[in-house]
Amino acid sequence: MKKYTLAMLLCGVLANAGGFSPSIQSYIATLKSEAKQANSSFVDFNAKRGEQIFTSKHIGKKGDSISCTSCHGNNLTKNGQNATTNKIIKPLAPSVNKSRLTDTKEVQKWLRRNFKDVYNREGTALEKGDVLYYIQSK
Amino acid sequence: MYKKIIIPLILISGVYADDDRWGNRGDVAPVKNAIYAKECGSCHFAYQPGLLPQRSWTKMMGNLENHFGSDASLDDATTKYLANYLKSNSAERGIEYKRSRKILQSIRPNETPLRITKTRYFVNKHNEIPKKMIVQKAVGSLANCAACHTTANKGSYSERAIKIPNYGMWEDD
Repeated sequence: MKKYTLAMLLCGVLANAGGFSPSIQSYIATLKSEAKQANSSFVDFNAKRGEQIFTSKHIGKKGDSISCTSCHGNNLTKNGQNATTNKIIKPLAPSVNKSRLTDTKEVQKWLRRNFKDVYNREGTALEKGDVLYYIQSK
Repeated sequence: MYKKIIIPLILISGVYADDDRWGNRGDVAPVKNAIYAKECGSCHFAYQPGLLPQRSWTKMMGNLENHFGSDASLDDATTKYLANYLKSNSAERGIEYKRSRKILQSIRPNETPLRITKTRYFVNKHNEIPKKMIVQKAVGSLANCAACHTTANKGSYSERAIKIPNYGMWEDD
């Protein structure tokens, strides 16, 4: 029991280190434990790796070369634009858009969809965590 | 005997109460469902369910993982909820609305269109627009209703409310 409480506390502190909103800290903790399971030498997510994941181009679901920036743009504090529909996408950066990274269900939905669209596969826990650190840093 | 007279009277008064001077109910029933507006309107214009028949929505909602080439998947509960919303507000359920009726009439029974822009009624209505007005950045494609139809989000596609970005009003001749 004590051990469990301590572990939860530790998770909370670690997640909090990234400056995430309280409502998604437990999701970050889950991703961390998954990343650790996949690779025992895992220590923490990394915004720099996240940036690479976010800005690099890949052959996406439609067979075209695409990156996350194709729709979200290179400056996450600015509006993006859906490359297919032209619909404006509000900034991803939590510093200018308070609603970002506050709802775990939303975050999971978009990570699932957008990794499929850009990478044509689901993201790993490591990749998702890295990307979330990158977005949170903006 | 009275039934024959009274029912049409009720229908007419109901229609008149709601909309314009021609006694028309309007173009298409507006979206009033917040979940639909949020989930379907985050990537594109939240098309009114009355713009396609029920069978089209059913087919579309059965394959959100591959939604016109993009992954638009939702959790099962939300998918089911929205499929039901679309079904119960499809064109067949709103034939008192002009556009719903006309789109429906333009689709053959053996067709299940997934794109509103491919229905015959829609094509006929848009085929005179020069390509340059459509492909420009502020519009992109004919699927971007609200780019030119300034009252599209109210379910109104009247010609008076058309304003093509960088070109202005549109007049049909």
